[in-house]
Amino acid sequence: MTMLRYVIRRLVLAAVVLVLLSVAVFAATEVLPGDAGDVVAGVDASPEERARVRAELGLDRPAVMRYLDWASGAVRGDLGTGFVGRRAVADVVADRLPNSLLLAALALVVAVPIAVALGLAAGMRAGRPLDRWISGVTQAMVGIPEFVTAGLLLAVFAVWWPVLPQVSLVPLGASPLHAPEILVLPVLTLSVVGLAAATRLIRASAADISATPYVESARLNGVYGLRLAVRHVLPGAWGPAVQALALTTAGLVGGTVVVENVFGYPGIGRELQLAVAGRDIPMVQGIALSLCAVTLVTLLIGDVIARLIDPRGAA
Amino acid sequence: MAETDTARSPREHTGAGRRRSPTTVLTAGGLLFVFATALIGPWVAPHAPTEQVGMPFEAPDGTHLLGTDVLGRDVLSRVLHGGRVIVVSSVCATIATSLIGIVVGLWAGLGDGRFREAVVRAVDVLAAVPALLLMLVLAAGYPASDTAVVAAVALTTLPFSVRVVRAAARRLAGRGYIEAALARGDGTLHLLRYDVLPNLAGPLAADAGIRLVAGVHLTATAGFLGLGRGAPEANWGRMVQENLPGAKLTTAPFLAPTVLLVVFAVSAGVLADRLAESWGSDA
Amino acid sequence: MSQSIERRRFLRATAGGAVAVAAGSAFLVGCSDDGGAADPAAAPAGPKRRGGTLRAAFVGGGAAETLDHFRGPTPMDFVRARAWHGALGNLDPAAPDGVRYGVLEGIDVSDDLGTYTLRVRPGVRFTDGSPVTARDVLYSLAGPAKSSPLPVYKMPAANFDFDRARAEGDLTVVLPTRKPIADGRLILCQGTFLVVKDGTTEYSTRTPTCGPFKLTRFDPGQGAAFVRNDDYYGLALGGGPYLDGLELRSIPAGDARAGALTGGQVDFAHDLPPVTARTLEADGRVVLTPTASPYLVGLSFRMNMAVKPFDDPRVREAFKLAVDREGMVKTVLFGRGTVGNDLPSIGFADYARDIPQRAYDPDRARQLLREAGAEGMEVTLTTGPETPGMVEAATLYVEDLKKVGVRAALRELPAGQLFADFPAYTRLPLAASFHVPVPALSSYQVTTAGGAPGALGWNRPDVDALVGQARGERNPLRAQEAGAAAQLAMWRDGNTVLPVFKPYMNAASRNVAGVADDLFEQFPGFAQASLQ
Repeated sequence: MTMLRYVIRRLVLAAVVLVLLSVAVFAATEVLPGDAGDVVAGVDASPEERARVRAELGLDRPAVMRYLDWASGAVRGDLGTGFVGRRAVADVVADRLPNSLLLAALALVVAVPIAVALGLAAGMRAGRPLDRWISGVTQAMVGIPEFVTAGLLLAVFAVWWPVLPQVSLVPLGASPLHAPEILVLPVLTLSVVGLAAATRLIRASAADISATPYVESARLNGVYGLRLAVRHVLPGAWGPAVQALALTTAGLVGGTVVVENVFGYPGIGRELQLAVAGRDIPMVQGIALSLCAVTLVTLLIGDVIARLIDPRGAA
Repeated sequence: MAETDTARSPREHTGAGRRRSPTTVLTAGGLLFVFATALIGPWVAPHAPTEQVGMPFEAPDGTHLLGTDVLGRDVLSRVLHGGRVIVVSSVCATIATSLIGIVVGLWAGLGDGRFREAVVRAVDVLAAVPALLLMLVLAAGYPASDTAVVAAVALTTLPFSVRVVRAAARRLAGRGYIEAALARGDGTLHLLRYDVLPNLAGPLAADAGIRLVAGVHLTATAGFLGLGRGAPEANWGRMVQENLPGAKLTTAPFLAPTVLLVVFAVSAGVLADRLAESWGSDA
Repeated sequence: MSQSIERRRFLRATAGGAVAVAAGSAFLVGCSDDGGAADPAAAPAGPKRRGGTLRAAFVGGGAAETLDHFRGPTPMDFVRARAWHGALGNLDPAAPDGVRYGVLEGIDVSDDLGTYTLRVRPGVRFTDGSPVTARDVLYSLAGPAKSSPLPVYKMPAANFDFDRARAEGDLTVVLPTRKPIADGRLILCQGTFLVVKDGTTEYSTRTPTCGPFKLTRFDPGQGAAFVRNDDYYGLALGGGPYLDGLELRSIPAGDARAGALTGGQVDFAHDLPPVTARTLEADGRVVLTPTASPYLVGLSFRMNMAVKPFDDPRVREAFKLAVDREGMVKTVLFGRGTVGNDLPSIGFADYARDIPQRAYDPDRARQLLREAGAEGMEVTLTTGPETPGMVEAATLYVEDLKKVGVRAALRELPAGQLFADFPAYTRLPLAASFHVPVPALSSYQVTTAGGAPGALGWNRPDVDALVGQARGERNPLRAQEAGAAAQLAMWRDGNTVLPVFKPYMNAASRNVAGVADDLFEQFPGFAQASLQ
């Protein structure tokens, strides 16, 4: 299969998955209690007013019709309008998603080099004390919830020894990068989780490669250490490692929800939580769908790069 | 760490002697401690978790060993009450995931066909959903429901279980056990009971361990985000959130649940790692 | 204090042309220890310094925040609008009419209490240079308010008949009332009614406005930046704004607002949780500035009279006697609160001050429950973190109820959920609520009278009639009597347990002064604030 055909096949598959997820998201939000009409009409609205608002919003039409409308809009980049504030959902996503991606990207920049180094060191000496230490510690770290890490960092660096801001207030009209100090704690929190997960995945693939006759023979020929890692293990481990990193990145998307909530960082995860709390259904649907799309695209990119590096790899 | 073994490829662990290494003992002890605190705690707590016993955020003293919380409730009592929901939810989610994972994984792994393939693909779709996303949406639909939290955890960890079981079943099928048994004329149930499950026990246990870690992670986060059964129920996750603002006044109310969650996550994680290693699964 | 002198001069200038109607005095607050007293430590002596940019943190929404204050429910939405738009006027117990006029120069009331004549202050201009006219005022009161989901904007239409309202010339609005009312000034000048240009439907930084500040930047969910409006009418009258700039930041979590203040990220933090406020007490760099009476929020529990056994007045009385009000003030509010008497609107002129304070009497409560056959009844109290202290108060109340033998349980909903499904809220047997500071009688008519859904089964035409009588009465004494009789009935038979009032616990850096001088201090507009 040529690369182009592979990419097209994967794109089609991702699109199918996204459609399935859109149905799931739409169905899940349909079960929200109460009625969207109440949110728009206001708490003390009369039944007639409610009915009018419901009609105006098209809530009196069958769910299938509403889904088709929503889905066809989404294809055109129109995710509808939020109930609260009547703002276009797509605008909110465009506004906040980059901030979240920035957090995730910075966390990767911090975590990946360390994860590659640790993962190789452990994987190439699978079963030895160093590996067991690294594996044990990273496995322990994977299980620690983000909010615990965030809470501890916050308590230490913003409360007991206040050297970093407690709130990630982004300067008005500027990128979060203009105030690097607000990024330190959120990025650190995400890095811890990402680092642990990525190290484990890279270790696994490094261990597999190290066990191949190719690497064994290099070892027998007196190739050790960094040279062995860079020349012999890394090229083989790269493909699975990239896929692993894509998986980690997808995991970070979830982690940002918690981190943004703890630090008050203006990202898409915080918006999602606000939308859920305010029962802003179009907003929940649009953000959920966008996050699913981001995850799918990340995984897709990971797979494509992995295949570019190692064309024999599994599809 | 008492390590004497020589270099081996990760696929060849026998695992036998390692079970009793100090780390394993330590982490098993940690896990036991957390389970005991969570499950027995409610019976030995000196106060009700909702009873107000003093002013908010009093430092630990002789009467209140861990101080008082944001509402002047006894932190020790709340710690003793607050683990059950997390332990029970994560264990329930793990059991649910494992059971469904075994059924679907075996069914898909021990046979072929387009339909089985399609089902596996459909379950795989769930893997593309960030777990917290599903949890938030479900929790919004069923506010204050622990069941919704368990369901969200089980659903998002399911695809991984199915993959692991299916892969293990495939390996097994490739070894000819099954054909041999079928040739003997054994029934399907008999086959499962005596040939399939015993051979899968290791990977299944290892997988369950990893799901449990994910379950702890997610249920505690649900508590922190205020999903699941709401306050005033004690919940370690929520206690972290409730008592963080008072960390400046007194640290114990914030640190106590934090430490327990860390111990839980770390010991479950390390034990799961050991299990996975012993049984040669890297899932 | 030179500040208060300055303020009084400002008042005289604004209230000068107003004709004092006898009824107005009925609504004055007896004691006037508000204003300067609210922030004694924060106000350094000497004249206000001009210049500087003040940064303040409020609870805001997310990226869906809107500049349209008719649709924005958060404190941030309203405070932003207060800085941006001119207000008709604000409640001021110390002023002759009970209000300090703003964009209006005065309000005349006809002898039959049937017609209000609003006189627009001459020379007030929008930022595009056009004058503020009677048509703009009329539009601001009646136009977008019609489709607003916020109850407060329904207030004018509930009291005035806008179909018959008209603008006479450029500076006069004639408003006929639906029923004769004496307290119309207090409704129109609550501080909530802001003036936008006739026909405004979309809001952006280019929208012409007439407030103390000009909006330069708006990042939904993050904040808004302003510069002083040098054309603001208040400057010519000798008042503020003194600040060059204002930056409002949205920080939903209470302890995070406090953290931003102590970390120097903002200069003013709004509505802090009581326990967070306590952590600030030790911090020498900041000053706590709790709002003073009448700007207090009542925390309450509503019994649903449509649900047994709350149809029994003995059960309702027992639930009122069961609450340890002093204890609640002490533990929930760290002493920074006032005991409530099961009636909202404490500190306002129409609040019935002479009704005796209900005691804490768990024995009598138990006895009443026994008599009503409701011993050991089960009930779930539903609450949510809608305002700081609300969940804490509910937690304590459940414990109090357990002490009188009620098998009470608490259900806490996540933030924003309690009132989200209002029909479901009205079916709850026992639900937490809170009462923003508004005068007692006019708000009763809008929210409670006629068996409104929000009244949770309270439907008493006799009390409704007393309230109507009080509001339509020109003789202040008789108005007071009727109002007190209505509130006595609510105190005795009503379905609200209102044990405590809490201030908005604001805090500011030491150099911030004059925030309260702008009135309506629960939602500060910063028009009179300065950085010393």
